Amino acid sequence: MSTIEIKNLHFSYTEGEEILKGLNFNIDERSTAIIGQNGAGKTTFVKLLKGLLKPTEGEILLNGKNIKDMTVATIAKHIGMVFQNPNDQIFKSQVLDEVMFGPLQVGIDKETAKKKAMEALEVVGMAEEIHANPYDLGLSRRKLVAIASILAMDTEIIIFDEPTIAQDYAGKERIKDIIRKLRKDGKTVITIIHDMNFVADVFERAIVFAQGKAILDDSTKMVFSQKEVLEKAYLEQPDVMKLCYELNLQECFLNVDELIQKYGV
Amino acid sequence: MAKIVIENLKYKYPGMNKLALNDISFTIEPGEFIGIIGRNESGKSSLCQAIAGLIPNFYKGAYGGRVFIDNMEVKKVAVEDLCETVGIVFQNPFNQVTGSKLTVYEEISFGLENMGIPREDMIKRIDDAMELLDISKYRDRYPFDLSGGQMQRMAIASIIAMKPEVILLDEPTSQLDPQGREEVFQAVQKLSKQGITIIMVEHNMEKIAAYSDRVVLLDDGKLIDIDIPQKIFSRDDLGEYGVEAPVYTQICRKLGIKNKSGYYPIALEETKNLLNSISKSMGKVIDQKGEM
Amino acid sequence: MYIITAIIVPVLLGKRWAGIGFIILSIILLLSGKVLKKTLPLLGVSSFVLLTVLIIQGLFWSGNTTPLFNIGPAVFYKEGLNFAFGILVNVINILLSFCVLILTTKPSDMIENFVRKGFSPRFGYVFISVFQIIPQMTETMSTITDAQRSRGMETEGKLWVRIKAFIPLISPVIMSSLINTKERALALEVRGFNSKKKRTFLNEQVKTGADIYIQIALLLCIIAALIWRIIIWLK
Repeated sequence: MSTIEIKNLHFSYTEGEEILKGLNFNIDERSTAIIGQNGAGKTTFVKLLKGLLKPTEGEILLNGKNIKDMTVATIAKHIGMVFQNPNDQIFKSQVLDEVMFGPLQVGIDKETAKKKAMEALEVVGMAEEIHANPYDLGLSRRKLVAIASILAMDTEIIIFDEPTIAQDYAGKERIKDIIRKLRKDGKTVITIIHDMNFVADVFERAIVFAQGKAILDDSTKMVFSQKEVLEKAYLEQPDVMKLCYELNLQECFLNVDELIQKYGV
Repeated sequence: MAKIVIENLKYKYPGMNKLALNDISFTIEPGEFIGIIGRNESGKSSLCQAIAGLIPNFYKGAYGGRVFIDNMEVKKVAVEDLCETVGIVFQNPFNQVTGSKLTVYEEISFGLENMGIPREDMIKRIDDAMELLDISKYRDRYPFDLSGGQMQRMAIASIIAMKPEVILLDEPTSQLDPQGREEVFQAVQKLSKQGITIIMVEHNMEKIAAYSDRVVLLDDGKLIDIDIPQKIFSRDDLGEYGVEAPVYTQICRKLGIKNKSGYYPIALEETKNLLNSISKSMGKVIDQKGEM
Repeated sequence: MYIITAIIVPVLLGKRWAGIGFIILSIILLLSGKVLKKTLPLLGVSSFVLLTVLIIQGLFWSGNTTPLFNIGPAVFYKEGLNFAFGILVNVINILLSFCVLILTTKPSDMIENFVRKGFSPRFGYVFISVFQIIPQMTETMSTITDAQRSRGMETEGKLWVRIKAFIPLISPVIMSSLINTKERALALEVRGFNSKKKRTFLNEQVKTGADIYIQIALLLCIIAALIWRIIIWLK
């Protein structure tokens, strides 16, 4: 299991305008959702984790080692990130080649890379389309190819940047399954996301970012029950929680099934 | 206000084997709010673009059937003329910024300049549109400096200023953060109160349930059903079409609770009232099949 | 209008002082528009080139007979320097008058003027949007670079490394540009871009009295210079 320690992390793009104002927490094995308004610093934070940016102050330790001494390519062996827009990374004309690119880059040999790519495509449900041209696929299936290409790199930690954008119900369910499987396989999953219902259903921990600080950091249930704090960060509760509040229930639930379990037959 | 009649609409994109739109027929009354739902690639965007005339006049491809906006047959009218009657807002706010204007104010005037609207009218229309979309405070800003939600509202304002009788919104919030989404939905609500015919494609079922007079369910290019939201969301086969009902409906379905008309509630208020009146006190188990 | 005048008159007159006069005029205009500073990079680059011309012509021009001064063994001749100076004046004149046009006018106003006069609005749009859309594309470029780097691709280092990185970077850029362009074309279509109707303009055309006078004055200058030229030629 990998750990990431964030110690007093500060970051500014330009002098005088601090984006991240002293973050302090550790990433453990729990699947973690980072939520917050646009501009709160979520994307910046994740870029720092990947080494694409360097902290202005503070440090990030990956399994005890300071990542500022590691190159982006080295970090890529441990932390994989699925970017929001698949069009920003896909360049090969066949799905299989695209998915093999990442593993080959981080030094995995061709045989193993192919095997990992096939496994990843199996997980995202695209095993039938390995020879398709990614651009012939609809946007949501292209996203699955992008996810597979990161899964194939077999990193211990995987970050998802807005995995649910442009996905329909079936697509979201598939991504939920993927995340649950990764968790079962012992991977650390971190996500930046705006879909509160999705977070409530899949993630164990939520960290709320607002104006460069982590104002709330707890289990998803705890975080989502704090209506006032969420409002300050311009966030809403998941729908089921809203209902619980309206009904003045003693206990709050994260999703439909939990609610039914308590109240139905 | 315009009445929309769609007769046996069929369409195939150039180079594709499958029909994107497969024999669709229905009518939309003036001033109605129509929600369109269905899984990805079920034809929702294509249907919108067919109503806006982009299919077949921008996309070419094989076209069959007819679409009428009042008495105009869409196929026979050029997009640049039809756009005065039918407006359409797309998913990506960024790609709707023309990139040829330096302020939000001028950006909104783009369509009006093309239409040849006299200057005084232009100014009034732009002011009204910005007021409605609550973006008057951004009038002098550089369009690309706006947030996603603000940009999308600017796109809607640009279309509204053209005073169309029908406005289509194709997943207008799917690329926005929660605040942006909220801003756009509020704007859409205001628009619907104005009596314009609105057609909206969305994945947010709670909003579709809340705003629509009727809902269109598409799958594989075919029209599966068109009816009031209550009936559509009470269907048992939504899962087969890759669609899920609003959360409240799901809860009531699982609890077996129907409302007076025999359907599952689709909104928070209704659900809350029903559940409250069924359960005697806080925290008690609710009876199964509590029919009113 | 101004550019045409500034270039033609000195050519017609064939006299050095006209060129210099216009240079000074350009500088004054640029100063009053507070954009003189922006011309400096352009002047800096061109002065380097011009200096070279000066030196070479001064040393080696074919009509060189009268030495002017020497720097060590190199002898600079008057004729050559004169000739070079002439070139200098012309070039700087042209540069500065272009600067006057470009730096004091908003591109959008300039294009709008062309469109008003009958220039195709579609070309006008293409021209203007290039200025705005290219900077936005750089944003996308950096995201694409981040995405590929985070898959382990090296972008820094030896030339070979950079070449290998080219395709994974350039393909997504092209594809996303194509996709964005298509979506933007759609958005423009539905805002009546191809309308055959006569266009109106939000901005009022500010044609002050001064505008007309200036245009007339410039025209007169050209005519005067033309007449002078003809007279000389006839002699």
